[in-house]
Amino acid sequence: MLRFDRRLLQHFDWIILIWLALIVTMCLMNLYSAVYPDKPPGTPVYIKQLYYFIMGMGLVLAIISVDYRIFMAWNYPMYGTICLLLLYALILGKTQSGAQRWINLGFFNLQPSEPAKLMLVITLASYYSRKDTGKGFTLKELGIPIALTLVPFLLIMKQPDLGTALMLGFIFVSMTLFVKLKWQTLNILLGVCASLIPIAWKFVLKPYQRQRIETFLNPEADPLNSGYHIMQSKIAVGSGLTVGKGYLAGTQGHLDFLPERHTDFAFSIWAEEFGFVGSVLFLSIYFFLILWGLNSAVSSRDKFGTLLCIGVVSLIFWQAFINLAMVMGMLPVVGMPLPLFSYGGSSLLTTMAGIGILISVRMRRYQVPG
Amino acid sequence: MPRIRRTIEKIHKIDEEELIILKKRVDIATAVIIVFIAILIARLWFLQIKKGEEYVKLSENNRIRIQQIQAPRGNILDRFGRVIITNRPYFNLVWTKEDAPNPDEVIKRLAQILHEDISNLLTSIREASGQPRYMPILLQEDIDWQTLVYIENHHFELPGVRVEAVPSRDYLYGNMASHLIGYLGQINKEELENRKANKYQGGDLIGKMGIEKLFEKELRGEKGYRYLEVDVLGFEQQILRHQDPLPGNDLQLTIDTDLQLTAEKALEGVGGAVVVMDVNTGKLLTLASSPPLQLNEFIGGISTKVWQEHLNDPLHPLIDKTIQGQYPPGSTYKIVTALAGLGEKIITPQTVFYCNGGLNIYNRRYGCWKPSGHGAISLQRALAESCDVYFYQVGQRLGVDKLAAYAESLGLGQKTGIDLENEKPGLIPTAAWKKKKKNESWQDGETLSIAIGQGFDLATPLQICRMTAALVNGGKLYKPQIIEAIMDPEGATIKKIQPDLLGTVYGSAQDRNLIIKGLIDAVNTKHGTAGSAKMSSITVGGKTGTAQVVRMAKFKSIPQSLLPRQYKDHAWFTCFAPAEKPEIAITVLVEHSGHGGSVAAPIAKQVLEEYFKDKIVVETDQ
Repeated sequence: MLRFDRRLLQHFDWIILIWLALIVTMCLMNLYSAVYPDKPPGTPVYIKQLYYFIMGMGLVLAIISVDYRIFMAWNYPMYGTICLLLLYALILGKTQSGAQRWINLGFFNLQPSEPAKLMLVITLASYYSRKDTGKGFTLKELGIPIALTLVPFLLIMKQPDLGTALMLGFIFVSMTLFVKLKWQTLNILLGVCASLIPIAWKFVLKPYQRQRIETFLNPEADPLNSGYHIMQSKIAVGSGLTVGKGYLAGTQGHLDFLPERHTDFAFSIWAEEFGFVGSVLFLSIYFFLILWGLNSAVSSRDKFGTLLCIGVVSLIFWQAFINLAMVMGMLPVVGMPLPLFSYGGSSLLTTMAGIGILISVRMRRYQVPG
Repeated sequence: MPRIRRTIEKIHKIDEEELIILKKRVDIATAVIIVFIAILIARLWFLQIKKGEEYVKLSENNRIRIQQIQAPRGNILDRFGRVIITNRPYFNLVWTKEDAPNPDEVIKRLAQILHEDISNLLTSIREASGQPRYMPILLQEDIDWQTLVYIENHHFELPGVRVEAVPSRDYLYGNMASHLIGYLGQINKEELENRKANKYQGGDLIGKMGIEKLFEKELRGEKGYRYLEVDVLGFEQQILRHQDPLPGNDLQLTIDTDLQLTAEKALEGVGGAVVVMDVNTGKLLTLASSPPLQLNEFIGGISTKVWQEHLNDPLHPLIDKTIQGQYPPGSTYKIVTALAGLGEKIITPQTVFYCNGGLNIYNRRYGCWKPSGHGAISLQRALAESCDVYFYQVGQRLGVDKLAAYAESLGLGQKTGIDLENEKPGLIPTAAWKKKKKNESWQDGETLSIAIGQGFDLATPLQICRMTAALVNGGKLYKPQIIEAIMDPEGATIKKIQPDLLGTVYGSAQDRNLIIKGLIDAVNTKHGTAGSAKMSSITVGGKTGTAQVVRMAKFKSIPQSLLPRQYKDHAWFTCFAPAEKPEIAITVLVEHSGHGGSVAAPIAKQVLEEYFKDKIVVETDQ
């Protein structure tokens, strides 16, 4: 085992921890409001989320206690395990609203597609850090990372979970662009993607997924379902005005107008109750965390650490952006949580594991390798 | 751990310069993220500051409400296109919880206006407690005009209360064919669960029985909707969007309204059934079960008390006797015995048995219905005069299993496959059946009872009618058909239902013709048992039947007319006409009423007269 180094504690990233606590506090506060004043039986969601957060802290501690470079060494066995879990969930998993996503662990329903996102980050970081990134990649060199992305992507697509599969795509694109492509490669890839869209539309997307996108492009077509969600969410956000209706005083959420208000649409409650000022404050705090993560990337002593941080940041950032854009009616409804803010254990634990990696990389910035 | 050390060494070897380049790209990533944050903040500004007041209006002073517009349900027509069932608006009183600041007072007021017990209203509200608060709850269905006007005039005092016009069923011929057509009722939780995908909602009407249920998909149409802005009191401000509903498809039945009404009128006051089938297609012109269902009792849900009353009614109005009533077929079953006897060469047209009023066999006497006996008798006359002894002799020589095979080829002992729910199969016993069911061996004496349609034999009126049709149409067994066609709301035919030939009857055309002759004699000769169905202008052939209800010796000596109703025999009559070229088969069953010839045949005659009404007129004109 690695010896404990006193400098690790000296270089511990307290800011990211404080920021994490700040965001989670806002999350719990918002969840309390989301279910207020209804009293459904069982543990309230904000208490459950608190439990998940405590579990997440344990996970963070576990991750920072080992050198992150262990992930590079153990990358492929871990990658294989996750793919097997995805396969297991697909074949034997629990079905919820028509998609097979869950593995019952007794105390917790694991959604293996969540850790799969993080696994892809680690896998790509590990792969790219071994390669020469100076000149840009050619199409041929991209074969392996594309294959590595495609396996979990297809398994998740099959569940079907469009949002998460899309996320894997975003991670791949972000990290690959970051390590730089040759112009020619980029052009070819863009061409292929553009030609794939109509094929995916026709053969890959499920009817309800197509319907969501159609609804977004033309909300009149289906005001009862997806169109209704977008409209009600926009009303909730818009009616918040400058300073909001006040905590627990939002009407849209509490009158059952807002669907999924403690999961994907959590931010619309916040925006309704705290208005433009509160929302901008929230976004500032939230994106500070993300930008701070980029700072970790700069601080790293090695390529693997830098790429890891870039991957984690892109993972959190894209989810956040897509979720917020959806809540504000700029994107169609896809199942995409706001990391750290939407209710849900798998997403919270994955995000916190990612933050654990950011801390771990930063902590070890002065550590002499080897 | 050597693996980690190796990895770390590998990492360290990588060019430091490359790392510096990578880190420079972080600045680009930062810039990208900041641009995206700016987009989000701009959007927030647009929604909350620029358009904020509009959204506040939508959320606070006004609420957006989706109002569904029920689609007019498809009409139900008879075979000539006459409308039997259409729609009319019902004015329903609904209440929206969210719009009512003081629910208790409003409910109290409403109970007064409706002259209804307050607890009934509270029950309706409690039942809907699972719904979102903005969904209207149905308080009372089909309110009268006065109440409607009163409520419209006082709507300011009744926040949250609204009158909704909903199309529901208008029964133009009252309870005609009520068992066949069925009724509508509010969708229940289970039905809602199963149909979530089809945009059903709490409070929707759905077919609960008969054709209304089985053809729900065709009849229902597609709901329209209105996207409304409503004020705090729940009153419409403006319609933002709307889409018209799509009416359901019409169903054309094979039923002939005139015949059906004639049959139902003839059955008035008794428990019984009349089935009329077009012998050449299997189409049902009449499917009448008496007493009918009182369809208006089912609008808005039948009360437990009324339901209980119907259950205890000795005439059993809830049972569709045409397909669910199972009775011993009595002498109508002699058609089967005759066909089997001829087919198995047990008898020939010339075979003569002697009837002295009974048959002494297996250590007892099996009596003929005519104690004085028929004398020497052959098949044709045995059918006409319904001699029991003749058929005992045939049955005894055939054995139970051969009889059963012919009965099954005539469609007995199995469901006919009609498109209605809960059809009963009847029962045609075999030796194996008895062994399995009762673990007893078949007794030879039982074959004799079976041969004349008593004992274990059970059949529904529809089965007997189809058997008669198959006898006279060249031996073809059709699936009984009730739907002629499905038509779109403009009246264009979408689907025409074709006759469905299921099988052919055992035995030759010659055998069948001989039996037909016997049945014609039953109606048209002096000693025939069915003289009461005889018509002047049309030749009718038919077979009477009397199904014993009790076989206790102590009742034997008492005349039927003096027995209590529940011990009286069921009367059967099944016939076809015109005998030369049969068009229709009619089967009549009257429960607990006495002999087929005296009770059932006259009812068949009324139906025959109605059917041939126009043809008779044409003939007398010439």
